Amino acid sequence: MSQSLRPYLKCVRSSLTAAISLSNFASQTAERHNAPEIEAGRTPEVILNPLVIARNENEKVLIETSINSIRVSIKIKQADEIEHILVHKFMRFLTQRAENFFILRRKPVKGYDISFLITNFHTEAMLKHKLVDFIIHFMEEVDKEISEMKLFLNARARFVAEAFLTPVSSFHGAAVLSWG
Amino acid sequence: MLLLEYHNLLIQTLLTERFNSTTPTSIDQIISDFDGVTFHVSTPESKTKILVSISVKCFSDLVKYGANDVLRREYGPYVVEPEVGYDFSIVLDLENLPATQEEKDELIRKVALLRRNAMAAPFERAIDTHHSLSTEAAKFTAESAPETSNSEVMAIHYREEEAMYIQASHDRVTVVFSTVFREETDRIFGKVFLSEFVDARRRAIQNAPQVLYRNDPPLEIRNVPGVKTDESGDLGYITFVLFPRHLTRQRREESISHIQTFRDYFHYHIKAAKAYMHSRMRRRVADFLKVLNRAQPEQEEKEKKTVTGRTFTRAT
Amino acid sequence: MSPTLTANYRLIDIDALDADAQFPPELLNPPCPPVGISEIQGLAGQCRQLLQRGDQEGALKVALENVPYGGDEAGKDLHLQTILEILSSIRSSEMANTLSRLSSLPNGTELLDVLTKYIYKGMKDASSGAGSGGKMSVLLSWHEKVVDIAGEGSIVRCMTDRRTV
Repeated sequence: MSQSLRPYLKCVRSSLTAAISLSNFASQTAERHNAPEIEAGRTPEVILNPLVIARNENEKVLIETSINSIRVSIKIKQADEIEHILVHKFMRFLTQRAENFFILRRKPVKGYDISFLITNFHTEAMLKHKLVDFIIHFMEEVDKEISEMKLFLNARARFVAEAFLTPVSSFHGAAVLSWG
Repeated sequence: MLLLEYHNLLIQTLLTERFNSTTPTSIDQIISDFDGVTFHVSTPESKTKILVSISVKCFSDLVKYGANDVLRREYGPYVVEPEVGYDFSIVLDLENLPATQEEKDELIRKVALLRRNAMAAPFERAIDTHHSLSTEAAKFTAESAPETSNSEVMAIHYREEEAMYIQASHDRVTVVFSTVFREETDRIFGKVFLSEFVDARRRAIQNAPQVLYRNDPPLEIRNVPGVKTDESGDLGYITFVLFPRHLTRQRREESISHIQTFRDYFHYHIKAAKAYMHSRMRRRVADFLKVLNRAQPEQEEKEKKTVTGRTFTRAT
Repeated sequence: MSPTLTANYRLIDIDALDADAQFPPELLNPPCPPVGISEIQGLAGQCRQLLQRGDQEGALKVALENVPYGGDEAGKDLHLQTILEILSSIRSSEMANTLSRLSSLPNGTELLDVLTKYIYKGMKDASSGAGSGGKMSVLLSWHEKVVDIAGEGSIVRCMTDRRTV
């Protein structure tokens, strides 16, 4: 883990631990509703100040907390076009499987690549510190995965290009290549 | 399979099976190949006469550059009137095949290369032009060589939106492919691949043809009618410069076959890379799920006993 | 058809038309005495003087004790800049000592809470601008130290306090 990543993740971890203290709270505006207040946004008194944790302008986490729900949005590092498209594809892949991920929001908050929505029902059914572990693990792995995919793509492209050009360039190419 | 093969595998298998079987059967099969090429293999008259027809999108372009001559040279005795709806047909008579197995195999291979040979005409013409231009140019010294020793640009619109341009000159043959990327991912993956094609020569293979990539039409084809300039970056032009060493008599057949497969090879590997990414993401998602599921407290299964000592599990 | 019928009536916010359902913002945000920009500028000057004398801790204390809760956006940004300047002037080996001395003061908890607020505000503001990686790592290491000493409670108080910086 690189040196500047550690304090970043540590900051996210302590902020999340502080933010995830949720309780059941029925809607005050609609009878017999119990919606995540951070999404409903109709009751300003139960929504807390949002927090932003940033490593640089390309990597940040937005934590929006309310009484019964918390929304964690992550912006993943995208150094160039390739990383951008890989992040985009990967996040799309994940959100399409949001059903299995319980806490994954189906659409990221604007300006971020992926969002999680944790409600009091999740914290009642799951262990809070393990949820935090999951998000930290996610952030670690996503960066690693994206750079590995990019390396792989470049390596593959190089190999493919050389394989195509080698037979044309060798003077005895006809002997090397079989006609099938 | 890294490189694509030049022949059509289906035709090869089909003919091999027919040639080696003793009982002729009737065939009626439509076979698709790259770039919208369609084959029709059938036995319209009798079971022993196999008619193989090919339909190529850009056949009119190819005829302009001498496709008929090339095909007649390759398939001379077998050529018949083209079947309705197709551009070129040959008939193979099973009762009148070459005697030896080698000759049979050679014939099968030749038929399976029908698409390659149809497309080869403009390349052959370009290489011939190159040779005559270079003998011409050899009469001059380097300084006094005429500037305009370029032949006309041959355009082959082999796909709906993509085309191939071939130009011969005294010291090279230039082949330009135009490509369109419909999707953002393809565009970016394509760019990565192409930049490696461009770099390959500099890095590893000095003898390779020079490869150039740009988004606006290269100088050679800028005056060709129908060449579009596109601001959105979806369009790209890949230029291969074949040098005399790729165009010698021994090398030309191989070079022609190989460069024809470029577009399909290129797109095939983009798809392959995407498929790999996909399986990789799938694995990674499974891994994430495993970590998330660790957050679920384990349901402890306590054995419950009734007063009489019998165990039971509670229905959930 | 009248225009009101063509509009999707389900999306009309009827609570906005009901005076009883209104939630006046004054109820949410506690009243703070307004602070003029000149006052904050004076404070910034005072802190800078302390910094020049080498008294970083004193400067930090002064800046954290006089928080312009009632100031306008420009004033708040100015004070943020002052605090960021002080924070980046303190060496990383001195961070923990400075913080523990601050927290042992009678109003120490409050001072650290205010510092937490400014750390988050600093990250929020700087993350929208470009070329701020260096500043972030300073803030992140301050955050780590503050949480070590003041605990996660300071983060909770930072989220719940309606007096924003």
